[in-house]
Amino acid sequence: MHEKIILLVEDNSDDEMLTLRALKKNNISNEVVVARNGAEALDYLFGTGAYAGRNLSFMPQVVLLDLNLPKLDGLEVLRRVRADERTKLLPMVILTSSNEEVDRINGYGLGANSYVRKPVDYNQFSEAVLQLGLYWLVLNESPPASRA
Amino acid sequence: MSTSKSVLSENETPKDAGRLGLVRASGLAPDRSAAEISQRALLNILEDFAAEKRSLEGGQRAMLNILGDFDLERTRMEGAQRAVLNILEDSVAEKTQSEAAQRSMLNILDDFASEKTQLEAAQGAMVNILADFSEEKGRLEETQRAVLNILDDFETEKNKVELVNEQLEKEIEERKCVEARMHGVNAELLAANKELEAFSYSVSHDLRAPLRGIDGFSLALLEDYADKLDADGKDYLHRVRAGTQRMGMLIDDMLNLARVARTEIRLEMSDLGALARSVASELQKTQPDRCVEFQIQESLEAYVDCHLMRIALENLLGNAWKFTSKRKSSCIGFGRTSLGGRPAYYVRDDGAGFDPAYASRLFGAFQRLHEKSDFPGTGVGLATVQRIIHRHGGRIWAESALEKGATFYFTLPETGQGGLRDA
Repeated sequence: MHEKIILLVEDNSDDEMLTLRALKKNNISNEVVVARNGAEALDYLFGTGAYAGRNLSFMPQVVLLDLNLPKLDGLEVLRRVRADERTKLLPMVILTSSNEEVDRINGYGLGANSYVRKPVDYNQFSEAVLQLGLYWLVLNESPPASRA
Repeated sequence: MSTSKSVLSENETPKDAGRLGLVRASGLAPDRSAAEISQRALLNILEDFAAEKRSLEGGQRAMLNILGDFDLERTRMEGAQRAVLNILEDSVAEKTQSEAAQRSMLNILDDFASEKTQLEAAQGAMVNILADFSEEKGRLEETQRAVLNILDDFETEKNKVELVNEQLEKEIEERKCVEARMHGVNAELLAANKELEAFSYSVSHDLRAPLRGIDGFSLALLEDYADKLDADGKDYLHRVRAGTQRMGMLIDDMLNLARVARTEIRLEMSDLGALARSVASELQKTQPDRCVEFQIQESLEAYVDCHLMRIALENLLGNAWKFTSKRKSSCIGFGRTSLGGRPAYYVRDDGAGFDPAYASRLFGAFQRLHEKSDFPGTGVGLATVQRIIHRHGGRIWAESALEKGATFYFTLPETGQGGLRDA
């Protein structure tokens, strides 16, 4: 059985490092694939670009998606993931600094499974990462692999 | 006519006499001498007779001539007579015709007489009609005069209306100008609002991310390098973290204040009492050990935006909760009262209060009347409340004395209509 992978879509290296540290501190040792912009995230999910030839039968257990991204922004990534047969059921969690109403409306409107705001306080941030890991990697049943 | 007949009978008389003579002669025949003498006598007589006959014939011829002339005359006379007769006949015919004409004339006159009667009757009727007509005309004229008066009045009215119209048009023109200006201002406002939204969004995203980094890595140092830091080093890092967290709070409050200003307001009948009780129970959950009595009136129906009013009450009741925190037990009240005949809502506490000298600074953003170490806060809460009350078209003020508690009053328009304001 393959390890449950986390796809972290994050352009801010500080946030990337803090997220990885929080996962480690919380003893979540699953592999984390980091995409630093929207295009890279889609390359990974669809086996294109740098990820050409990737075995697409293995999809991440959860995608942690920032909204404010260079090139393709998070909402556009979400739109394309939901539009593709291979990824339309993939668990997508928006993890962002914004708690703007319009972002929440658009995020859920495009089919996000969850919306989590990154707290400034690192203790709270770490707690949020722990909760996300526990929920999406342990508690949540993922969609059937062939259709995910 | 009778004259011509008599002439003819005289002419026949000599012939009758001759024949008588012959018959006498034949009766004297037997004595020759006597016969001869008689013959001579007879011859004489005959000769006399012939002469007589010749003069008679002359006379006859003259007579015949006369008669011829006479005949001519007669013919002429007859012609004339015939002409006269013709004339007379014609005259008779004329007369007959004339009589017929006269009769028909009379008939016509008779007819004409009946016609005349009828005509007179008709004329009488006509006169009556004309009389009626005259009355009608009189009435019509009256009506016409009335109509003319009305038209006059109408003209006056029309003039007035035209005047009013002109004024209206002027006003409309002015209003259009104002509207155009308003439109311009509105467009500017919209643009400013858009800019503010973009700014808020940017603040929300871009200012918070570095703060999270500062806080996160400070904590990482404290956790991962604790053995290499002395107490001062650790204290500095704690201060760094406190600063970033406070900045995070300020950013959030600022965003809330901006959001309150630009959120579209949606009014509905709401029970402010129920809203206040819900906020109070949330506050009690944050510090369940505290002994605070909430006195909240029942049924405080008001026409408000629920979401905004909840933020206002969270701030007002939250302040009361905060500034009574140094009391062993305290009382917080919320209700409706009457001030100067108008309803006003109040939030009252028996906490620390504030110096009324600084009351004017209460509602300014980032203005604080207490030390942070005494009572935490960003100083944005009351600015937010004021903005919410203003957006409802109401007013807010506060009364207090140091250590005597504080009462915040606010009003809301009775119907909630017409008093709404943008930010």
